[in-house]
Amino acid sequence: MGAQKKSATPRVSEDPEDLARNPLQAILLADSFATTFRPITLERPKVLLPLVNIPMIDYTLAWLESAGVEEVFVFCCAHSKQVIDYLESSQWSSKPNFIVTTIESHNSISAGDALRLIYERNVIHGDFVLISGDTVSNMLLTEALQEHRERKKKDANAIMTMVVKQSKPSPITQQSRLGTDELFMAINPVTKQLLCYEDKAEYSKGFISLDKTLIADNPSIILHNDKQDCYIDICSQEVLSLFTDNFDYQHLRRHFVKGLLVDDIMGYKIFTHEIHSSYAARIDNFRSYDTISKDIIQRWTYPFVPDILSGSTAIKVERQGTYRASDVTVSRSADIGSFTFIGQGTKIGNDTKISHSVVGEGCTIGSNVTIEGCYIWNNVTIEDGCQLRHAIVCDGVIMKSGAVLQPGVILSFKVVVGQQFVVPAYSKVSLLQQPTHLDSDEELEYADNTSGTGEPGSDKLNGDITPDLSETAYELGAGGVGYIWSVFEGVQDEEWRQSVAPIPTDKLIKLMLEKDEDDEQLTQDGNVFSASGELKADSDDNGSGDDDNEDSGDDYVFFEKEVEATFLRAVNENVKVDHAVLEVNALRLSYNMASVDCAGAIFYSMMKLAVESPHNSASELHKNAADIITKWQKLLKSFLHDIDEEIEVVLKFEEMCLESAREFAALFPQILHLLYDKEILQEDAILKWADEKEGADAADKVFLKHSEKFIQWLKEAEEEDEDE
Amino acid sequence: MHPAVYKVGLQYLSGDIWGGNARCIAMFQAFKEAIKDYSTPPEKTLIRDLTARISSYVSFLIECRPLSNSMGNAIKFLKNRIAKLPLVLSESEAKATLMSDVDRFINEKIIIAEKVIVKHAVTKIRDGDVLLTYGASSVVEMILLHAHELGKQFRVVVVDSRPKLEGQLLLRRLVRKGLSCTYTHVNAVSCIMQEVTRVFLGASSVLSNGTVYSRVGTACVAMVAHAFRVPVLVCCEAYKFHERVQLDSICFNELGNPEAISKVHGREDINYLDGFVNQEKLQLLNLVYDATPSDYISMIITDYGMIPPTSVPVIVREYRREHLWS
Repeated sequence: MGAQKKSATPRVSEDPEDLARNPLQAILLADSFATTFRPITLERPKVLLPLVNIPMIDYTLAWLESAGVEEVFVFCCAHSKQVIDYLESSQWSSKPNFIVTTIESHNSISAGDALRLIYERNVIHGDFVLISGDTVSNMLLTEALQEHRERKKKDANAIMTMVVKQSKPSPITQQSRLGTDELFMAINPVTKQLLCYEDKAEYSKGFISLDKTLIADNPSIILHNDKQDCYIDICSQEVLSLFTDNFDYQHLRRHFVKGLLVDDIMGYKIFTHEIHSSYAARIDNFRSYDTISKDIIQRWTYPFVPDILSGSTAIKVERQGTYRASDVTVSRSADIGSFTFIGQGTKIGNDTKISHSVVGEGCTIGSNVTIEGCYIWNNVTIEDGCQLRHAIVCDGVIMKSGAVLQPGVILSFKVVVGQQFVVPAYSKVSLLQQPTHLDSDEELEYADNTSGTGEPGSDKLNGDITPDLSETAYELGAGGVGYIWSVFEGVQDEEWRQSVAPIPTDKLIKLMLEKDEDDEQLTQDGNVFSASGELKADSDDNGSGDDDNEDSGDDYVFFEKEVEATFLRAVNENVKVDHAVLEVNALRLSYNMASVDCAGAIFYSMMKLAVESPHNSASELHKNAADIITKWQKLLKSFLHDIDEEIEVVLKFEEMCLESAREFAALFPQILHLLYDKEILQEDAILKWADEKEGADAADKVFLKHSEKFIQWLKEAEEEDEDE
Repeated sequence: MHPAVYKVGLQYLSGDIWGGNARCIAMFQAFKEAIKDYSTPPEKTLIRDLTARISSYVSFLIECRPLSNSMGNAIKFLKNRIAKLPLVLSESEAKATLMSDVDRFINEKIIIAEKVIVKHAVTKIRDGDVLLTYGASSVVEMILLHAHELGKQFRVVVVDSRPKLEGQLLLRRLVRKGLSCTYTHVNAVSCIMQEVTRVFLGASSVLSNGTVYSRVGTACVAMVAHAFRVPVLVCCEAYKFHERVQLDSICFNELGNPEAISKVHGREDINYLDGFVNQEKLQLLNLVYDATPSDYISMIITDYGMIPPTSVPVIVREYRREHLWS
């Protein structure tokens, strides 16, 4: 491959005139190599999903055609058959001067693989446009191409031009309106060379690092966080060979762009081209699907708007941005609000309200239905009295009367929602079961690494999943068909970020408050690093705490550490229990703590020891814990004078299970039982704890649920006692 | 020249302060500063000397930008107050009286008047209305925001025109407050007027024959609205009413910079008039105001209440009696 590449490079640079004569080619990746659109993409490729009733790929192809591209290679991977069939039956197969060729692959798992395969086919002969099939744009390519070619003539290393557009991320959520994370780019303002590309800049860090040679080498440099990457690249042939040379390049941005920026041996350069008045955006999550649909309806993408693109079926634009196909049956009393699309053959019943939504072809919508901000695809049946807010409803879905979709719901193909059933917010429903992670582990891992932005916290997908959580199939009410995909802990909190539903106000307020706190902390300490909690604890002992509240909190941390050290020494040196009690008591007095704190700290130390001593399975861990508890129960008991202290122990244990020692989470009820057996905890204490927790919110009650049986048993035992 | 007046003059010149109320308030604030720092020169009386001083300030301000009718009224008020000062007052007392008069004028005639107008006007907004406004009138903005705060369900159409594009500023503020808006240029007004239920307009001045003197383009909007049988409500504080009678826009108007209409901002490629500006046979007419005949106006909302345009002379008369002869 290396030899081939060498022969290709001089040909291009020696004879640029020849290059200009080549027809402009484009590579269209008809697979995003990501899982953000699951469960829908399990049944249909992303590029064929309708965007305002027209498949996404049509927008991309129409733009490429208008931009003067003459030959397009469509790379299909997942569901390649569907893509090829669609393209063959569509208008694109029979256009003069616009050739669409499909390249099929079944084993490519990333954009890198795709480009390597295309390189092997040897079909690209000059500069090409690299784009994925989910991009909507109306920009003119001529200017960017011209710039690219002129740069290339001067400097053979200028191999790629990236299209960027102004887009300011929200200061609160740190994401753009397309739902992508904040992106940092360093650009030389004179040459427009891209110097740094950081898309996973963690806000929590509060800083990004720039190589100091960048500043030394460039007279001026602008760091942008208000640019959006349009994922439209104009590439020279070398790009393909670079992918072949670096077989580990998978993701276009994360590997290729960053790789080139870091690599200073080859000296390849990437430049940016900023567009101002034209439109370009890529759909890589549900939020961008929503945003871009709205942009299309509001005609920012003109001429790529439904009434012009869908040539055969007549669609009329009416006042306030309402699009209506020719044979739509709408009841006189129905209220079709602004920015709504109604597809052909759709029937809408009495008193139904629809606004800011897209309703596809052949849908039947009953009476008294409320639809707001929804994307309803083709042949959907919605019976009377349903309510839909900010949801995506795929082909063939049936919603029985009175069903409700809360914001952010995704209903995949042919799901049936039962009567009066309320689908909870942000749930994803499909006829297919959620793929378990064992069979597609590797695939998922790659997908995660290569997905455009990845779901925040998606690393958890491969990480710590307790098997009992991953497969819970729920019935969708009476007569419902489909599985509600379970959401993993941790991801759940982030679900709203990239959903179709607008960000709820309470989240915004919460984020704003958090941000304020962060800022306060920053200003208080005058030290950027202490924003993360752990460092703070350490840095405080030289900073002589400035706040009384903080002081007492830190005291407890030190106290706990001291107790732990004492306890470990006692274990290692076989100190007598009485002596250990004495030492802990001394600590208690010197730190001015109550015996409640001692009990908590000792129990914490014991459990920590149990976790840290070697074990291979949960049962071994249980045994460890049992041993330690048995051996040191006397120490613990000497600080458990009354019920409050016992409750403290349970609470402490619960806290540990949530935070420091998650391994215990599964063993919670067993250990609780053990503590009861050893008479460390009395049943009153446990019951009181259960009572207290009864009123808490769901997340807090996890352990209560786990130990429900045990508590039930305790209660029964108590009743029996009373009976006697 | 007092520095505060100088500063305001330059701000008028550069266009940093625009809009009848803003200009008037800025002028009065500057005069207040000037009065505060004023001391009567020896051998002169305060009444005569200060009046002459104010006149010289006013002529400077006119140099910067012609006065609006409302400012003329305000200056008349101030001069009247100076002339009516009792001779027994000491200099510091006289200054204090004048300064409190100025404050009272700003407060009563502008700030409270706006609030009263808002209170009247929101009664004319109903759920489901589509309200059209032209340009950026501060009082119309207050009306729309207040109606929105009251929870009325309505849409706003902001019509704008080159070269100032003030409507964009209004649009920004409205959208930020969560109103649902449509923005278009005056060229499309006949198209958008079909769906409009009410037109709210601001005014620079209302003349005694009921003619509304306002930002150029207002007459066009009012006429289109009239043709579509859409009520036109003009919101104007009473201090802007003027006893003059005017029948067309040309005989008394302010001329803007002709450059502004020969060039398109941000579009360097539209340069057909480059080097053409000084041609003898070409006149670039950039009028700032126009006159809307009273036939096209359904109602004038003012701090004295809602009146038909035929009742304007009454307001003018009452106002004069209250402020100039008292």
